[in-house]
Amino acid sequence: MRRGSKLRSTGVTLSLLLPGLACFFGLFFYPMMVTVVRSLRPEGSDTGWTLVNYISFLSTAKARDVIVLTFTLSLSATLLSILFSVALALILRKKLGGHRFFRLTMIIPRVVPGLIGALGLLLFFGSRGWFNLLVMGVFPFVEKPIQINYTVPGLILFYTWLYFPFTALTTLSALESLDPGIEEAADVAGANKWHVLRYVILPLIMPGILAGSVLTFMAAFGAFSIPLIAGGNYRPLSVEIYKQIDLTPARWSAASARAMIMAMLQVIFLTIYMRILRRRSR
Amino acid sequence: MNLLRIYVKSILRGRKVLIYTFLLCFGLIIYVPFIVIMLRSVGKNWFGRLWLPPELTLDWYRWAVEVTKIFRITLNTLIIAVIAVAISTLIGIPTGWALGRRKIPGKELLMAMILLPRMIPPIAYALGIAQVFYRLHLVNTHFGVALAHVAICAPYAILVLSATIEGLDERVLEASAVCGANRFKTFFHVILPLILPGILTSIIFTFTASYNEFTLTLMTYGKDTVTLPVRTYLAIGEGYWEVTSAMSIILVIPSIFVLFMIQRQVTPEKLVGGFKGL
Amino acid sequence: MNDYMIELRDVTKRFGSIVANNRINLGIRRGELMTLLGPSGCGKTTSLRCITGHNIPDEGKVFIDGIDVTDIPTHKRELGMVFQNFALFPHMTVFENVEFPLMIRGINKREREELVEEALQLIRMKEYESHHPRQLSGGQQQRVGLARALVYRPKVLLLDEPLSNLDAKLREEMRFEIRDLIDRMGITAVYVTHDQAEALALSDRVAVMNRGKIEQIGTPTEIYDSPQSRFIADFIGLSDFLEGTVSSIRSDRGTAIVKVEGLEIQVVAGPNMEVGKRALLFIRPNNVELFNKTHKGGTNTFPGEVEKITYLGDRNDYRIKLGSNIRLRVQSDSKVRFRVGEEVKICILPDQCRVIV
Repeated sequence: MRRGSKLRSTGVTLSLLLPGLACFFGLFFYPMMVTVVRSLRPEGSDTGWTLVNYISFLSTAKARDVIVLTFTLSLSATLLSILFSVALALILRKKLGGHRFFRLTMIIPRVVPGLIGALGLLLFFGSRGWFNLLVMGVFPFVEKPIQINYTVPGLILFYTWLYFPFTALTTLSALESLDPGIEEAADVAGANKWHVLRYVILPLIMPGILAGSVLTFMAAFGAFSIPLIAGGNYRPLSVEIYKQIDLTPARWSAASARAMIMAMLQVIFLTIYMRILRRRSR
Repeated sequence: MNLLRIYVKSILRGRKVLIYTFLLCFGLIIYVPFIVIMLRSVGKNWFGRLWLPPELTLDWYRWAVEVTKIFRITLNTLIIAVIAVAISTLIGIPTGWALGRRKIPGKELLMAMILLPRMIPPIAYALGIAQVFYRLHLVNTHFGVALAHVAICAPYAILVLSATIEGLDERVLEASAVCGANRFKTFFHVILPLILPGILTSIIFTFTASYNEFTLTLMTYGKDTVTLPVRTYLAIGEGYWEVTSAMSIILVIPSIFVLFMIQRQVTPEKLVGGFKGL
Repeated sequence: MNDYMIELRDVTKRFGSIVANNRINLGIRRGELMTLLGPSGCGKTTSLRCITGHNIPDEGKVFIDGIDVTDIPTHKRELGMVFQNFALFPHMTVFENVEFPLMIRGINKREREELVEEALQLIRMKEYESHHPRQLSGGQQQRVGLARALVYRPKVLLLDEPLSNLDAKLREEMRFEIRDLIDRMGITAVYVTHDQAEALALSDRVAVMNRGKIEQIGTPTEIYDSPQSRFIADFIGLSDFLEGTVSSIRSDRGTAIVKVEGLEIQVVAGPNMEVGKRALLFIRPNNVELFNKTHKGGTNTFPGEVEKITYLGDRNDYRIKLGSNIRLRVQSDSKVRFRVGEEVKICILPDQCRVIV
């Protein structure tokens, strides 16, 4: 009797989980497997196994450039996001006038389609855009417009613009869940503001910062639409993958091999990052 | 280090001028791109070093409507988003219930599995989805594109809903049973109203995700299922910046609407919610 | 100068339209333990925060050790503070928590270690030095809080309801421990609490606050025995209040007679008493003695009737009806018990019966 009801309960649990599992296996696991298999097939063939797709990509100097570029972009953007988010969060938590407005401003890059953000930034930073008009207007010694679009620093700026909200939101919520008494305790104990920040606030919100920056990093690493339209000659991995199937005939095996390399790099990096995060928050 | 120290110190000391300059720059960098797009979409003959367009026109919007069939495209986008939201919610409620309320061995593993799609670059499984969908003739159908979106949307829905359902108070359910309600009645009169805010949140997020989705659409769309983001991308490629701007403005309106709803109904922090356990 | 370690002069602090502190004048002598006592919202915490510098008074000045610190930031005031919710740094061990104030002051490592060890020894937490705060019980956390506050020998120790997050039994133990520690260090201390028993047990002097003002400052005995307002009499301990008129004053004996509903009650004469003036009598329920009805009379002895009895374990709480219209609460030890409806004699001890004008 008890066995029966336990079995039934397991059955109910399983049937409740079924849609989620179906979605996971059908829309993620199976397609991933297809990609894995495809990456091991010779181009254009459905039989035979080969590593040539990996080797032919990894053995080129271009592969290194692409991977370095991808990491440079995503890590720089993550770092910038952290610096910016901490400053912003420290300001916003004081609840100055208009802080609600800025809180809302903070999430705009996440709600608006990335393509549009990128388009707006391209127009703003263009050689005839407002940014250059302003710079040339204020600093007369700047004679030529500053080239920002289609450069690496420009891309980092775009990435940061688009993906910093993850970090900013978690940092702000970590900061606001701090017990104000702890800061007062440090204050009374003789710590000046810099000490309080350095020894008390930063260590305590570090888990929040890291958790948010993981999201920023993942988004920046996998970014596709932004470098596609704003990258110019700089192609990170995602664009490199897409360019393979944009050819005629499409090179699915080559694209799949690159996708696998990208996925593995991200998983490896995330594992390391997560380990640091766990250690820090213990 | 010293510079940073001075910088932080001045922020902490509450030097209002500096703080508001910082906030002003922040506000400008976020909003100005949209203002530029707006101006670009209504400007005519805006060349050279001009701060504002010399003439205003609505021609680009007309172009967007006539040449790019924007209504048709908006309709495509909405149909796809609605299907994706519906499927994701239907997946999210039972799975969220199981994860939130039932004792499951290896629950952490299951949760990690569901989050996995968010840890892998979308382009990686988009490739696989494209290949599978080609074989199943799902490419270039509304249902097919929506199904591809579910790969992104469903984890969102499951996360939000399992968190909501986990937060349900056991005593309320017991109280309902004590009052004589059967399971069916309990579900419709007690549970559903309680998790409705969670469902709404989930719908808003999955809708936004699907509406803005680009990568997966690009891999599965066809000429009958062009969505707004894809059309905007194509327009950028074609080099008609003015028409692109006009389309972007149309594309951005629902986002602003969503922002308004999020701001009133749910805390913005929930946008990244559910990742604490990562 | 003067012998005050801390002095608040005419301190006023407003939050919007609420006046949290209204012209507070308070001097705390060197080596003294002063308690700020009052119900929540009376402004005691605001006063404490004016001392720490977390609140800056709108008017008035704050002096510490004779120096005007009103505009000096908190971290330069050389204070030690113990918090209600402990406020230990959760990311540091016990050792690091206690070490923090020393580290901030740039004291060298060896000296730091010595001082921390000494402080931990003092609170008997030596063996927990590598624990994190969340691994400790509330009482242990608060002891660490004490060590952190005292380790750098601050001029003043401030305690903001340090025991209210602990359970009742522990609270009583910690009370003595804190008092003992303060005595040994010979430090000036300000203690904020809403618990009158704590205030009476611990303090050298008590300042009772109400609605942003100090109502009375005095030793625990003064506060308890001769409260200067109805609020204090009501707030501290149990009190019976009787309203009457002064009928005669015998200043040679220091007594007076107050007439309450036909009863003539002898009381201790107060400074502002006048014949014919209204007077508010206050009597502690344990300053009334109960006898059976055969007891022969004396000063302030009246017949009454037991209306209600509540058993409190170590004593009984009686409601006694005197005459037609007076009800008195009386507490007596439980050796002799009276029954409801029984006629009794009560004696209000004349030297414990005071008048609040």
